[in-house]
Amino acid sequence: MTNKSILVVDDTRSMRKMVAAVLQGAGYEVAEAGDGIEALELARERVYDLVVTDHNMPRMDGVTLVRELRALPNYDPVALIVLSTEVSPELKQKGREAGASGWMAKPFDPQRMLDIVGKFI
Amino acid sequence: MSTVSSKLGDADTFREIFFEETQEHLANVEAILLRLDTDAPQPDDLNAIFRAVHSIKGSAGMLGCTDMAALTHLQENLLDLLRKGERPIGKGDIDAMLKAGDTVRSQVLHHRGLLSEAPDSSQVEAMMLERVSLPSTDAPGTQAGLVLRSFTVRLAPLSDPIDGAELDMMLQGLGEMGLVENTVVDNVAGGSVRFDVSLQGTATDLESVLSLVVAPDLILIETRVQGGLDPVAETAAVLAQAAGTNIAQPASTDDGDEFFVDPALFKRRGQAAAEPAPPAVESDRAASAADLPIDLFVTPEEFKRRRATAPVAEPAEAAETFAPAAASDNARRAADAAMQAAAASDATFIRVATEKVDLLVNLVGELVITEAMLARQGTLVETGAAGHYGNNTGLADLSRHTRNLQEAVLAIRMLPISNVFSRFPRLVRELSSRLGKRVEVRMSGETTELDRGLIEKISDPLTHLVRNAVDHGLEAPEARIAAGKPPVGVINLRASQRGGNIVIEVSDDGRGLDVERIRARAAECGMVVPDDATDEDIWALIFEAGFSTAEEVTDVSGRGVGMDVVKRNIQSLSGTIDLFSTPGQGMRVTVSVPLTLAIMEAMTVSVGGEVYVLPLACVVESRSVEAGEIHTLPGQGDTLRVRDDYLPVLELAKLFPPKARSAQGGGIAVIVETDGCDAALLVDELVGQQQVVVKSLETNFRKVPGLSGATVMGDGSVALILDVGHLVRLAGREGAMLL
Repeated sequence: MTNKSILVVDDTRSMRKMVAAVLQGAGYEVAEAGDGIEALELARERVYDLVVTDHNMPRMDGVTLVRELRALPNYDPVALIVLSTEVSPELKQKGREAGASGWMAKPFDPQRMLDIVGKFI
Repeated sequence: MSTVSSKLGDADTFREIFFEETQEHLANVEAILLRLDTDAPQPDDLNAIFRAVHSIKGSAGMLGCTDMAALTHLQENLLDLLRKGERPIGKGDIDAMLKAGDTVRSQVLHHRGLLSEAPDSSQVEAMMLERVSLPSTDAPGTQAGLVLRSFTVRLAPLSDPIDGAELDMMLQGLGEMGLVENTVVDNVAGGSVRFDVSLQGTATDLESVLSLVVAPDLILIETRVQGGLDPVAETAAVLAQAAGTNIAQPASTDDGDEFFVDPALFKRRGQAAAEPAPPAVESDRAASAADLPIDLFVTPEEFKRRRATAPVAEPAEAAETFAPAAASDNARRAADAAMQAAAASDATFIRVATEKVDLLVNLVGELVITEAMLARQGTLVETGAAGHYGNNTGLADLSRHTRNLQEAVLAIRMLPISNVFSRFPRLVRELSSRLGKRVEVRMSGETTELDRGLIEKISDPLTHLVRNAVDHGLEAPEARIAAGKPPVGVINLRASQRGGNIVIEVSDDGRGLDVERIRARAAECGMVVPDDATDEDIWALIFEAGFSTAEEVTDVSGRGVGMDVVKRNIQSLSGTIDLFSTPGQGMRVTVSVPLTLAIMEAMTVSVGGEVYVLPLACVVESRSVEAGEIHTLPGQGDTLRVRDDYLPVLELAKLFPPKARSAQGGGIAVIVETDGCDAALLVDELVGQQQVVVKSLETNFRKVPGLSGATVMGDGSVALILDVGHLVRLAGREGAMLL
């Protein structure tokens, strides 16, 4: 249905694979990164259509990644979604200020994730 | 969570990844917990533990492992409180988290189908809740009792019935945590489920349990006060939750509240009130978006509009030059490469069944044998029996590749010794606290690798040595201070590779071996100890069966069976064990075992035309012997003088009589050595030195005393591998007590 590309960032391999599988199952092209630093490297090489990132990761957390991505050229129109078990209002507010487009709670419902992603791209 | 699996396709794959990952996390967490200094915890350490537990929780929730999700949620609560420094970390916190780790490990085994019973987590959950409810100061005596709170839960409106089994499991689970009553179940579309529950926990705890089974937006929890439902309290509960505080504990009393804010829950309720609804979009979409467990900070539609007007996405580097087509081509290629790299990093490890590896090892073993046969035939064909096949490049290459292949395949089975070492900090911690001792464990060389089969076999003897060191070696803190030593004893575990062997040292800085006590104890056991025996001789006595010098039998080291079993186990691995002790300073036990048992450097000898194999490791030297050199000493049987020693002579032809014995005096004496005892093994001739692939006699035939296995030689014939240690012991016995 689409050749849109999505970057999935999570240090937890099982979670990353699950998110990727859900998205790939819907026909998206998926790249994976194990933390924020890795994600930034990938994002510098190519502009993805959407990024789904975990928040709590070693080296660079999700909110920081969002901020860094927004600072990249061409990332202004890219939807950046944080997918985290952490959903404190303070943290979400930080995410929003950093430039996140949305904040999704883990565990996530695959269909709902696809619905959301489908709305963005 | 049942919806998850359908979208995920083959959920089993993810579960396997998850279980494997969980075990890594647990091992990590345990290592950190054990080295954590409770007086000055490193924030990084606490964060690392938190992250690991957090990861487990997240994936567990996705994959339907609700028990794991529930327990890790409690752990996370405790950890969050500790990492925020709301109260000092106590030993009880470490204990509770270690226990929780054990339980999660069992839960993994259960989910994997390796444990038929689901582990009982109620005890550890209670432990967690208790640690969380401790007041900010951990001073003894000020512990608040656990508060029992009552809630009325309503799950409505149900758009679809809840999975019956899940509902039952949840109610049962809550029943185990507290009291569930007045349950009204109308589990149909449009119906509701209602019940009262009293438990030790907060509304958020309760909600996090419930949300494992039903969507959070269906959950309504009312806090009840004694005497029934209080509308004021009810309203307060809802408001408090919306504000992210917890009604169950007044906000002023306990900083820990903040930590209780449950993510999933809060979001939906808090959000609706606190944030403006997304700008109007198609009404059905807006409605469904409101149901989504997601906060949209911008509307997707707006995004799409912006994207449509934004320039074609390009790689950052190419942005200035603006060469769209080429750039995006490059970008595509770069991304492909990046994705391949990402895929490659995932492929760093693969899980393979051990049987497959064993099969591979076996097949390569056969290949090595076949290669040897070919080489031999090649030699015979080409240049006659005396020639060397080095002239034949094809065969030489085959030989080299086969050897390389064999090494590579054996390397697959190699695992770092840390697999064994990693359990010792925990073991020592438990033993020392039971014995009232203070012990620090230091390790080095944990990355040294050895065959996985050996890892399993060496684990018991090493565990025994570590137990001994804690129990018998190290003194109680008072005794150490009295002896002018630091109160904390040190156990050092050191592994290193020396040639084809791994050498493992277990040392302690305790009291060392008491030579006089060992002597006395030996006398009690009826052993004859010569007066001029050296300290080394005396030390060796502790390897004798039935010898134990512990003043009293402890539940740690047990009784009697001890070092003799350790020694026998090590010897059965073709290993050696040595010890060294300095009175008052400690002792050191050194264990050396081959890196692998699958192949062996061997010397081949023959008797009456039959070939036998000797492990090269135990061969000291060999020399020809004239018939007259062998003397029969009274009480010692045949002996051979080698320099200043008279060694017992073992005639292989007598031990394994060949069919055709060529009558001849003398022959070759191979001087062999195991655990400090030398003997001369008399054979007809030395055949050669080579690597042999060890085949078990036990699995292919049966255990035969004096033989440790068999191998297939280059010509296809079978040769038996001699158990030199056993033979030397036989010689000692025939030699009628050497002492």
